[in-house]
Amino acid sequence: MKLYFLALGTLLVVCVGCAHDGQQVFHKNEYHAPPAAMLAGPGPMVAGPGPGVMGMGRGGRVYGAAPAYPAQSTQVRFLGPDGMYVGWKIGDGFAENQLVAPGRYNFPQGSMYRLKVAGIPGRDALVLYPTLAVYPSHPTTEAYLAHNSIPLRITDEDLDQIETNNFVTKVIYLPDPKFQDLAIAGVEELVSTRLDPSLDPVHEADRRGTIMAVLRVGNMDLEMSAPAVLGASGVEQAGNVVSVNGDLGEHAPPVAIGGIDAKGSGMPGSPLVSGPLPPGHPASMMPWGQPRSSTPIGLVGPPHLPYGRPASLKSHTVRNLSDVDLPKPVDHMLIDVRHEPGISLPAPVKHIEYLEQHPVYGPNEISYPPAGY
Amino acid sequence: MRLSTASCIAAGLIALITAASGTTAVAQTAGNNRYFPLDHRIPGRAIQWDRAIRPHRPSYMQPVRIELPSVGLVVFFDGSANRNILTQAPSQVGMLVGRTYRFQISGMPEYPGANLYPTIELLDRLHPPNGREQDFPIPIQFTAEEIETALNDRLVTKVIYLEQPQWAAPLEPGHPINVDDLPPTANLMQAADRRGRAMAIVRIGGRVPTTRGGGNSQFYGDLAPVITRTFDRNSPTAITPAVTASSRSTQATRRPGQQFGQKLGPKRSPAMVSISD
Repeated sequence: MKLYFLALGTLLVVCVGCAHDGQQVFHKNEYHAPPAAMLAGPGPMVAGPGPGVMGMGRGGRVYGAAPAYPAQSTQVRFLGPDGMYVGWKIGDGFAENQLVAPGRYNFPQGSMYRLKVAGIPGRDALVLYPTLAVYPSHPTTEAYLAHNSIPLRITDEDLDQIETNNFVTKVIYLPDPKFQDLAIAGVEELVSTRLDPSLDPVHEADRRGTIMAVLRVGNMDLEMSAPAVLGASGVEQAGNVVSVNGDLGEHAPPVAIGGIDAKGSGMPGSPLVSGPLPPGHPASMMPWGQPRSSTPIGLVGPPHLPYGRPASLKSHTVRNLSDVDLPKPVDHMLIDVRHEPGISLPAPVKHIEYLEQHPVYGPNEISYPPAGY
Repeated sequence: MRLSTASCIAAGLIALITAASGTTAVAQTAGNNRYFPLDHRIPGRAIQWDRAIRPHRPSYMQPVRIELPSVGLVVFFDGSANRNILTQAPSQVGMLVGRTYRFQISGMPEYPGANLYPTIELLDRLHPPNGREQDFPIPIQFTAEEIETALNDRLVTKVIYLEQPQWAAPLEPGHPINVDDLPPTANLMQAADRRGRAMAIVRIGGRVPTTRGGGNSQFYGDLAPVITRTFDRNSPTAITPAVTASSRSTQATRRPGQQFGQKLGPKRSPAMVSISD
């Protein structure tokens, strides 16, 4: 019986000794940390500096705060149809014929623009007013947007769909590495055959990678002449419409019609994408539902409900259910250094005996030089 | 229940051997799968980490040599987008370590009218003998395949590293730079770190500055200064930017077994999803 307990004790000592911190047995020495892009943020679905951010010294720059090439504009390359005129909305009017395809333009990110497409060869009477949502750069798309333009082409198939009262949505995204082979295989522009009609292209693109731009095209005429509005005096009131024509050498930058999650865009709101406030919204007031309070783990707080309603929220609980297995800090550090082979030098000199011997000559043994005296 | 002495001792030895071998295997696995926080996909991230680790690192102008498939022009921007320095490839200039540079390559007879604007993220420096800094530039070679890929609006990312001498391939001086093409999911910085010391990240795509519209102010980056030198052609160590030969003199003076290598990154391309409702 004693031997039985001896063997059992040996087994217990061996197991405990090898799994002294409890990780080797259950965790198999696997350690996990978020990727570098996530370390720059305070937590999931929240942008900005967070607990993973390390200070950069007196300069005040932090990781992820100042990229080398802040791609605050996205260069969109209109590939075709060749000869197509591209304009955009500026305030109440349109800047027409600003570009001729193929051409490129830098659009500020995080905004939605109303384009005006006309002069399509073979479809001279067709004028389209698509919206172009330019997404902000993401750590995964930052390098691409800083070095590449986004190709955008409206094909004949797209135009046929539009002229038959269909709504075309194009989502341009950078695929994740795991989907990259699939994306390279289908890098050409595909319309309706790429996805099942029941799928949302925005959601599908977001699942496969990071969205960079979304183009939505319909056949709605936004410049249809409105019925005449007569004032009290019977005089027709003229609107303050600004018109710029690129053919006359007039150019104007596009004016955003809202953020990319603006009302009516049909795009699901994303906490990572805020964009400018929609037109008419007071700048000093927070948007409806935007979270403003923080939590200890970096998640968003309760939504802000303005407009004078009494406070109704009595409790807001965020539970961190993540497995946390952090080791204790090291209090005593021991480093063993050993040379192979070891150092072996002769003993240092500790006694020096110095002896000078001078010759001794007799009186007749010295021969002086002639001019020596 | 009674057990014999031999069976108890055998059980203890088996447990000891099993636990010891398991511990060794786990340690080896953990050493090979270390978490590597740096990535080649985020511009400027590696430099920011380097600044945080070594905030008082002295400034150093590292010679960098730009080589094109054959001949061409290389334009550097010295502190301003309007201050152009026009050189002929292969072109060698001094760049500050820890800064990101954008330059223009053009005039390539294989690609008439093509203008590309690659970037160099200079991560580290070499330690050449005193007075021979210009003999040891960091070679950055753009191949025809890379330029064609960039003209098709795809992004090519390369990490140039200095091989560890004990692991370097025994190549003759003057041998072309080794280029390994890794899959899209690979971390080029980690791959370069395993093979040696990462020196620079080179990215090339198809974006060019536009004549109208905004966005060009951020296009050129922080516009760090560059240094160009006028060399004496009769000097044995002179390297003239207009020389069209390969970097034979440079690689001849490099120690054998310490060649530069490049990690060729994935050729990324945007994909388009379109649907008609």
